[in-house]
Amino acid sequence: MPSYKKPESILQPAGYCGGCGHGIIQRLIAECLEELGVTNNVVNVVDIACAYWSLDALNFDAIAGPHGRCASVATGVKKVRPDSTVYVHAGDGCSYVIGLAETCYTAIRDVPITMVVVNNGIFGMTGGQMNLATTLIGDKTLSSRSGRKRETSGHPVDMLKALSSFDIAFAARGALYDAKHIEQTKQYIKKGFENQLASRGFSIIEVLSPCPTNWKMTPEAAMEKIKTENEAVFPVGVYTDRGGAE
Amino acid sequence: MDYVLMKGNEAIAEAALRAGCRFYAGYPITPQSEILEYMSANMEKHGGVFIQGENEIASMSMLWGAAAAGARCMSSSSGPGFDLKQEGISYLSSYNLPAVIVCAMRYGTGDGEITAGQDSYWEAVRGGGHGDSRQIVLAPASVDECAALTYEAFDLAEKYRNVVLILTDGAISQMIEKCHLPQAREHDINQFDWTIGNHKKDDPKNKVTNLDRTIGYEAAERYLRNKFKTMHDQEQRWEEFMTDDAELILVAYGISSRVCKSAVRQARSEGLRLGLIRPISVWPYPEKAFAHAPEGLKGYVSVEMSLSAQMGQDILLATRFRKPVYACLTTLNLPTAEGIIDYCRGIIAGAHQPMEVL
Repeated sequence: MPSYKKPESILQPAGYCGGCGHGIIQRLIAECLEELGVTNNVVNVVDIACAYWSLDALNFDAIAGPHGRCASVATGVKKVRPDSTVYVHAGDGCSYVIGLAETCYTAIRDVPITMVVVNNGIFGMTGGQMNLATTLIGDKTLSSRSGRKRETSGHPVDMLKALSSFDIAFAARGALYDAKHIEQTKQYIKKGFENQLASRGFSIIEVLSPCPTNWKMTPEAAMEKIKTENEAVFPVGVYTDRGGAE
Repeated sequence: MDYVLMKGNEAIAEAALRAGCRFYAGYPITPQSEILEYMSANMEKHGGVFIQGENEIASMSMLWGAAAAGARCMSSSSGPGFDLKQEGISYLSSYNLPAVIVCAMRYGTGDGEITAGQDSYWEAVRGGGHGDSRQIVLAPASVDECAALTYEAFDLAEKYRNVVLILTDGAISQMIEKCHLPQAREHDINQFDWTIGNHKKDDPKNKVTNLDRTIGYEAAERYLRNKFKTMHDQEQRWEEFMTDDAELILVAYGISSRVCKSAVRQARSEGLRLGLIRPISVWPYPEKAFAHAPEGLKGYVSVEMSLSAQMGQDILLATRFRKPVYACLTTLNLPTAEGIIDYCRGIIAGAHQPMEVL
């Protein structure tokens, strides 16, 4: 039976908007690290955007930004502190747009960190602009007011497919729209941490996550949109699992 | 053997390793690439980490993580690459993380030239990137000084918890000459209480972000102002050469200062009394060297490889406009002793106007 007790690593409430997926993801990370018994030696690398809230919320050493460069920051920490469990909690703007080079080359170097990317299809912290990598065709944002057009902004990209062409340990996408998918997402994140603890290389877990505030929807409608629209473009599941010796 | 023959860039890299630098990340660009190459060849022997970054911004972000984790770390660049360092310098400064960054200046705006220049001066001494921060900037004028100043830079960076820049130029970085190498030592990554990833440390956990988020705005502002003032008062370094009876004092750093020293000797043999102030720290600017002008001094002459009198502005500030300041600017050409002396004779003959702003 799953436990609903608050993880001890969560020290204080975070400022996420109502219905946001970041809080669920932050909790799943805390649960995984507690179940793996490594909470004493964790470094959380957050982006300067919505994930910033988890810097203070969680009882881990933590470092923020620069915006987009989380994978590089995590590389610096992990190389100096190889015994620490180093993870990134960042958005899709950070990881797939402004910081795409940093994400790709951290993957190419196969740095043994765990990277959790929140795919909510929008720039949340700046108020709801289009995300070149993840905003769906037709989705209206503050910088695509009549809906994203392929002719001007291109098609959204399944970055896990791109990242799977590199030699990395693990790439998977989860979702949060029902208990089953939350549990599946948790198993992916846990696998990402297990890989790091076994020095197996770079693991990335992307999570389809709602942003009701900027999507201008109720939390229920936002979850429904992920299930019916976003998941069709960004299928959940394991993209790469290199395995390797225990 | 008490000295070796080395390139300026190699001396910087070797001195960093001897200072306990165990993390280097950077991206190739002329004329500093030998630093990166030397680190790639030698860092692993010392048990450290060398990473060739995908770009400068990524390299600086790796440094931000490595410095926060407690390592002595360094990066280096030139010209347009140094532009890209600015974001990282601002971040390092926002949480008072120590790091040493080298800028081997090349000449020109945009792509410019790959040869020696001194026109990244403003970019180096006016505070890196956005926001309001200061970095100690040391300008070596010899290969020996490349080693000595780099070695000391790591201590200064930790003493003040601050970024220290080594501002060299294509000529100093590329020349080979005699160099005394300092004693090798190790650095303990657990010696400070502000690092992340030290699991032996008790709670509370460390959060590396803007300093004001951890200690509050008022305390952070007080701390920073006090630190900037202390660095300004304590870390001014310069060399004076034959200034006591000078009619004109040349002011130059790096490669230009070497030529100026020759110019002073040659001019004196011809009966023209020149002197030289050579700033070694260009931030803090050695204002103390300008406190007492010799009697009969007609003015200061900034000798720089730049289009505008970049350092000249700092002389105006240091002298509080008490004496005329002239600018002998050689742009992409190395100054010559003859050219400097001709310029100085022109000043005395009234052929050159003092600089006002540029």
